[in-house]
Amino acid sequence: MYSYIVRRFAFGALTVFGVSVIVFLIMRVMPGDPLTAIFGPEGMTKLTEEQRLSYMRELGLADPLIVQYVSWLGDIARGDLGRSFFRAESVGDMVMRRGPLTAQIGILSVILSWILGIPVAIVSALRPNTIADNTARFISITCLAVPGFWLGMLIVLGLLFGFGYRAPLTATGASVFEEPWTTFQMVIGPAVVLALGQAAYIARMARSSLLEVIREDYVRTARAKGLNGRLVVSLHALPNALLPVITLSGILLGFVLAGSIPVERAFGTPGLGYAMFTAVNERDIFVMQNLVFLYAVVFVMLNIMVDIIIAWLDPRIRYQ
Amino acid sequence: MSTRPETIAPLEPAALEPAAVPAGRSLPRRLLKGLMSFARRAPLSAFWGCIAVAILVMAVTAPAIAPYDPLQSDFRRMQKPPDAVNLFGSDQIGRDTLSRVIHGSRTSLTVAMAAVLLGTTLGCFWGLASGYFGGRFDIVSQRFIEFLQAFPDLILAMAIAMALGSGTVTVIIAIAITRIPFGGRVIRAVVLSLKELSFVEAARSLGASHLRIMLRHILPQCVAPYLILATTHLGVAIIIEASLGFLGVGIPPPTPTWGNMLADALNAGIIPPWWLVLFPGVAITITVLAFNLLGDGIRDMLDPRLRGSV
Repeated sequence: MYSYIVRRFAFGALTVFGVSVIVFLIMRVMPGDPLTAIFGPEGMTKLTEEQRLSYMRELGLADPLIVQYVSWLGDIARGDLGRSFFRAESVGDMVMRRGPLTAQIGILSVILSWILGIPVAIVSALRPNTIADNTARFISITCLAVPGFWLGMLIVLGLLFGFGYRAPLTATGASVFEEPWTTFQMVIGPAVVLALGQAAYIARMARSSLLEVIREDYVRTARAKGLNGRLVVSLHALPNALLPVITLSGILLGFVLAGSIPVERAFGTPGLGYAMFTAVNERDIFVMQNLVFLYAVVFVMLNIMVDIIIAWLDPRIRYQ
Repeated sequence: MSTRPETIAPLEPAALEPAAVPAGRSLPRRLLKGLMSFARRAPLSAFWGCIAVAILVMAVTAPAIAPYDPLQSDFRRMQKPPDAVNLFGSDQIGRDTLSRVIHGSRTSLTVAMAAVLLGTTLGCFWGLASGYFGGRFDIVSQRFIEFLQAFPDLILAMAIAMALGSGTVTVIIAIAITRIPFGGRVIRAVVLSLKELSFVEAARSLGASHLRIMLRHILPQCVAPYLILATTHLGVAIIIEASLGFLGVGIPPPTPTWGNMLADALNAGIIPPWWLVLFPGVAITITVLAFNLLGDGIRDMLDPRLRGSV
């Protein structure tokens, strides 16, 4: 088990390194000039050559690329995520302030997606190809086609027109411990929207996995010894069928963090996703560079965690 | 997303032989027969396929069927709810929402199709080379594809679109890059299983060059998985395009795209008018649903072994 964890982390470290190179390449080397990104194509023509050079020097963009890359890695290793051109707050502080809200949205949406997806999958798998199964599958396909941010806008509008309700929005973000109710109202909308898409994937995966497991010998044995059908499913079939669902759920959580960007924009939730939206609109490349890297690292970490959990639950994997 | 099937088995070599079709039957009749059998076997997919075709037709003929010019603002009719003049209402500078939704299908489908074709094709050739040659090239390619997959697709597309500056081509490239890993992985797996088969060995023993073996003998077997990949990823590409537009890094205004329209609606005021929110979103949902279900049907038909899997 320990050797598996070590191996997994070594691969993870390699991936994080590769990710840092790709982020750097996209932000600094691709044909777009960082200064054009900041000032816009029109602002760029108004700069004199000296101004351009002095800006480049000030931002560290005049150094050779490899020097820029190493100094960026050094900053990250020291925990310095840089700062925005347009705001006083450093990126590190911003992540600490806004991150928890997005993390809560992510976790809550995973919990909701299991609550929604698993029962549907059980009903579908126990009576495959019936009306209930087909309805459930069509609903899940529809859920995958609805863009989350649009659903979010509809929910905001519906609550406003129907009930005159609008979720409280504080610019600073609220702490769960101090104002749990305010935070919950801010988080629940995005979480529900993001949970629907995930629930659809989870229901599909759990259905096919359950259908496979139900044909296994040990399930037949459990039935043959006279165990009641509900117990066979909940004690014997379900725990084994859920392993691939756990893996999927971990991967989906990473996608949810990305999907949270437009959804937070739709709800106006002041989380990290909204910060990402602001950064991308202001062409704030240093903030973007660090946030994109952060998201990718979180994504890689989630995958490692899921792999370790699966290996811990399923000995067959760790001895491969 | 990454929950698409990672391995799509190739068809049996015989299944792609055109010789099985009796001579003398005209091509249109054969096509019609194929379509009929598709409709019988997958009625739901066939129905949504018709809707997909209708949307395609709408995109192609947009200037003819849209009631107004999508860019023409009428200042006497600003932000009017749906009525007899503007069936879907009008936006804050008096442009007709229906015309903009119809024209939006053009941009959306152009970008999604171009991006999926470009990305999947690049990925396929890469996967073909990496699976065929194996060795060090394969290992490096696999690592690189893993690095690309370490980003959620939306974030990668956002970063690339922002770095390249806004524009139609930029958005296509940004979305295409996020599609490369899927093509690469799937086709590599197919090629790995194919290259050990005897017809490849036979070609090699006849002295065929690597290029000839790859293009003439292996590539034709990759057509089915390629088609499956391309159709199943269209829906995702449309959603990414809309999200980019919504976040302000898509195709720049005033070009009407569904994502831009939703972003405009949010910027219209504290309370966005409902008709500006509802219609573009319905258009996205129906389009994505149609292409997803059509893709599922095509996958089931080309590769029955995948039926029912994710």
